[in-house]
Amino acid sequence: MKKITIPIGPQHPALKEPISLRMTIEGEVIKDADIRLGYNHRGIEKLAESKTYIQNIYLMERICGICSHSHTTCYVQAVEALCGLEVPKRGLYIRTLVSELERIHSHLLWLGVAAHEAGFDSLFMYTWRDREVVMDLLEIISGNRVHYAINTIGGVRRDISEQQKEKILEGIEFLRKRTEYYTNLGTTEPTFVARISGVGKLPKEKAIELCAVGPTLRASDVASDIRKDDPYAVYDEIPFDVCTADTCDVLGRVVVRVKELIESYKIVEFVIKNLPAGEIKIKAPRKVPEGETVSRYEAPRGENIHYVKSNGTDKPERLKVRAPTLANYPATIEMLKNGFVADIPLIFAAIDPCICCAERVVELIDVKSGRSDIMTFSEIKRKYFCEKKRETL
Amino acid sequence: MKLKPAAFIPELLRHIFKKPATVRYPFEKLKVPDDFRGTPVLKPELCIVCRSCVRDCPAFAIEITTLSEEEKKYKMTIHNDRCIHCAQCVESCPTKALFMDTEFEIATDSRLKLKAEYIYSRQKKTDQKSQQT
Repeated sequence: MKKITIPIGPQHPALKEPISLRMTIEGEVIKDADIRLGYNHRGIEKLAESKTYIQNIYLMERICGICSHSHTTCYVQAVEALCGLEVPKRGLYIRTLVSELERIHSHLLWLGVAAHEAGFDSLFMYTWRDREVVMDLLEIISGNRVHYAINTIGGVRRDISEQQKEKILEGIEFLRKRTEYYTNLGTTEPTFVARISGVGKLPKEKAIELCAVGPTLRASDVASDIRKDDPYAVYDEIPFDVCTADTCDVLGRVVVRVKELIESYKIVEFVIKNLPAGEIKIKAPRKVPEGETVSRYEAPRGENIHYVKSNGTDKPERLKVRAPTLANYPATIEMLKNGFVADIPLIFAAIDPCICCAERVVELIDVKSGRSDIMTFSEIKRKYFCEKKRETL
Repeated sequence: MKLKPAAFIPELLRHIFKKPATVRYPFEKLKVPDDFRGTPVLKPELCIVCRSCVRDCPAFAIEITTLSEEEKKYKMTIHNDRCIHCAQCVESCPTKALFMDTEFEIATDSRLKLKAEYIYSRQKKTDQKSQQT
């Protein structure tokens, strides 16, 4: 049969964000796939070099809307390591609490998206309704539903009152019941199981070889979790299990995430019940001593890495972000191979892609000559855009 | 595990008789939490013009201009069109002159309408202390 290449994206109804997937297909079967990035680049790393360490917390938060707390925690951990700050225990506990609530909200959101892509829209609506509970809890704690802004260099910005603790425990109890119901439902509903099992196979050896991270890796039966492997914050004091599945397909990724939800409820309850008294933050210096460091964090989607290099001033010299989605792209290509065209949205959604998180570089390729060039922004402007006088406000 | 077809049906039917999960928004409004981060508001009588809010604002939304050096008259402009509602200014302020209100319906038809201006004279430090206590 003749092989043909079909482009999916950059703009496509199945994609939530712009990305270009080129599929080489033979009939209905995908033989090869190619991912092209760079449609959503925002220049965040460059911008971070011109902002102070405090301003950068809020910039890091805006790398991603769903894992906003992951990026700030990873960043402040790096800066705290550079300054040699000892963050108070209560601050670390609150940081952990918010990160687990964020994981709950992210996994519930993903469960809805997966159900939607599998054609089970009722489950999608019910999980998203229940997700409102955890969003409200985050709003009570931090004052905002999406960008919690709870982290600061040297601790957290807001304390938790007794009243808030009660509300969190109530919310978690409700969510636990709902999640147990969904676990039951997701594994017994034959149409749903038939749609997701055996789709997007990623064998264990391939997952390790291609450096997959997070639930994608754990669904291929590799018990790897930064919270256990390299504990940060207070994860070394909290009892929890690393959840894995051995089916290596989309069903496994659903199972891992649902199990992680249950683990997250346990962690939240543990943190609330064992919250130590004391300060929530210590004063941080404005100027950070010279040095470089790498910080790791288990975001809901996988391992998040921030590299910070300081030069003794109040602004970082270099800030590098490796978002989990970027690490999962090579594995996605492997999952797509020998799958069907109709499974593309489902397989792609199963890694929980956050495309703009992963956009770190743009390559400019001339369509006519096929040559790639390095250009300054003013050159691009001169060549491709007509200069407009900027409206001043 | 044994598979059961249409396992979701009882749950769906039960919800027909339940109250809606949403509120009829413009007519009914949910209460925002007490610590909600709305719009930054200045209490001009407390400001000592240390400019730490200007320095720390990640969105460069706060501007302080000197109107008269002798009379110690200043103008603070809060550009709410640029504000990202992070409340770092509130935290940076040493005299608690800034606070976040609970307003969330701030949409207008022009960016210019979102600008808030405060013209005030700076307090002496001694007055400041007496006001705080």
